Amino acid sequence: MNLFIDLFGYLSIIVHGLTIVSQSMAVGGVLFLIFLAGPLAGQIGLAGPRVMEDTTRVTAWAALGLIGCEAATVAMQAAILVGTVDLSLADALGATSALSGIVKIGCGAVIAVALWGRGTGAPRALLLAACAVELVAATLTTHAAARLDDQKILLLAALLHQLGAAIWIGGIPAFVMCLARVNDGRAWATIGTRFGRMSQIGVGCIVVSAAIMTWFYVGAPDAIYGTAYGVMVAAKAAMFAALLLLGFGNARVSARLRADPMAPVARMKRFAEVEIGVGFALFFAAASLTSVPPSVDLTIDRVSWHEVVERNTPVWPRLSSPDHDALALPALQAQLDAEAEAHKARPMPAFIPGAGQLPARNAADIAWSEYNHHWAGIFVVLIGLLALASQAGLRSARHWPLAFLGLAVFLFLRSDPEVWPMGTIGLLESLRDIEVLQHRFFVLLTVVFAVFEWRVRAGGWTNRRAALVFPLLTAIGGAALLTHSHAIANVKEALLIELTHTPLALAGIAAGWSRWLELRLDGRAGRVAGWVWPWCFVFIGFLLLIYREA
Amino acid sequence: MFVRLALILVLMLFQITPSRAHAILVESHPAVGGNVAGDVQMRLRYNSRIDRKRSRLTLTGEDQSVTVLPILSDGTDDVLMARLTLRPGHYTLRWQVLAVDGHITRGDVPFTVTGN
Repeated sequence: MNLFIDLFGYLSIIVHGLTIVSQSMAVGGVLFLIFLAGPLAGQIGLAGPRVMEDTTRVTAWAALGLIGCEAATVAMQAAILVGTVDLSLADALGATSALSGIVKIGCGAVIAVALWGRGTGAPRALLLAACAVELVAATLTTHAAARLDDQKILLLAALLHQLGAAIWIGGIPAFVMCLARVNDGRAWATIGTRFGRMSQIGVGCIVVSAAIMTWFYVGAPDAIYGTAYGVMVAAKAAMFAALLLLGFGNARVSARLRADPMAPVARMKRFAEVEIGVGFALFFAAASLTSVPPSVDLTIDRVSWHEVVERNTPVWPRLSSPDHDALALPALQAQLDAEAEAHKARPMPAFIPGAGQLPARNAADIAWSEYNHHWAGIFVVLIGLLALASQAGLRSARHWPLAFLGLAVFLFLRSDPEVWPMGTIGLLESLRDIEVLQHRFFVLLTVVFAVFEWRVRAGGWTNRRAALVFPLLTAIGGAALLTHSHAIANVKEALLIELTHTPLALAGIAAGWSRWLELRLDGRAGRVAGWVWPWCFVFIGFLLLIYREA
Repeated sequence: MFVRLALILVLMLFQITPSRAHAILVESHPAVGGNVAGDVQMRLRYNSRIDRKRSRLTLTGEDQSVTVLPILSDGTDDVLMARLTLRPGHYTLRWQVLAVDGHITRGDVPFTVTGN
């Protein structure tokens, strides 16, 4: 069990992200039903009852998802405690966080049963009470619950933050379904205006609570770039700003619809789809943030502005690789093998994936990693330029997705030199190491979206859904990169690397969703979006080319 | 089919997000890499409230033998304490803590016992 603690720790963050998604959708769906779908059902014609049914259904499914996610969280935590601390299952389930999880499961069950059983007529007071208890229980698993100082105000801020996220982002899936059901401008204007007001309340809750938490958890401006917590908060703020822009666009569409019911509504629908994607990415960033110590607790090992500038000043890319044998782990393994042979003993492994120890690292490892990033940058710049040429009408450039396959092969071979096929650690065994696991799945992701996009562009796949795989997986890859970390003992070095990966992640998310808009929006807005994403790739490639670890 | 495949990949991808330490060790006695006398009063202070009953301290000696240390009930909510007598040598104290918000983290404190 000890070798799986890191893996379970990572999984718990993923499940936590899914929990925030499902909790927000469940609570947001209930609020959408009670404050929008129900009251407006009589004003939007025949679509009214169907909108209520859709909202009920999506909310019930979200509540079921919440039950599953919480059950998984409680089970994983209990398994680790039973396996490593020698506790009984009852003792493990007695932890405050486990009890909170069990309460959350109960709330999810109440919402799901009420909505499945009574449909659109589910008792409103019961649903609201279940949502309130759910949010309180969820607050007891935030940073605030473990704080030593200022706990009350931080608990209140965490509660308000989750409520705001549920009202706004959690309500968007129901809003998108609602827009799809309605077919006249006046109804769209009515729904858009009401959801706009609800969103404003949600945004207000988020802004106030975020300001409180930033004050207490971040503390000082230099912590924003000087600590991992601050960097993640900045990334969340950037995504929040993007959501506000999209929301502002939707408010303008609503205003136009109120003046002219015949005004086009497609932009509101598509922007709302992108809001779901960016909002969910933000939820996973939030889940990752819960695993990072607040900036105020990290009083040493902060990165200075001078160090940030120095590290990101471009230098010529490293295009030649050090020898594999010069890397720290192969060198250490060779030494251990020699010692074992001298004593006629079995050699000790230089590194055991999942054992909780950071791998040895030397100057050759840094050079190896920089070489990998710089060649990856060349691949990605090439992809961006070819995509631009393709957009400009150069027919032969439409094969640009194939360059991603080259990148995937390169990463598979070189990203983890201690692991098969270059190293001695077996593939399955290596997957206990989260960094290796990440790299392998990024390779898989790259292969899949490259094949899909190439077949769509050059192979004549006409299915519109096939075309959506590339933007969806690109945006998801960007969101996952937001939480990618390197196993380096030096906290400052790890943070300097993280600082370069955050803009990469945000550019990936922007690339994915701009391609999505190109596919889903007609007219000028779609064409503009079509030029945004190739430039995002060029930018990503440039960042990779100037990447340094020393 | 395409959407289903995409969703499967989404789930697979999100299974790979890393975590970093949440409850961090603010100070410790012995200090990391420090020297102490044989009668050791261990004291680990964290940045969060810790669930003492669901946390664990183990000590690894030079011969790689592992001993589970009883955690004392003394101290504030952010502190773990243990007391024992050790022979001179190199040791590694491994801590695993459950923060009250539900995050399990772990780390090592290597130290040397110089004598009584």
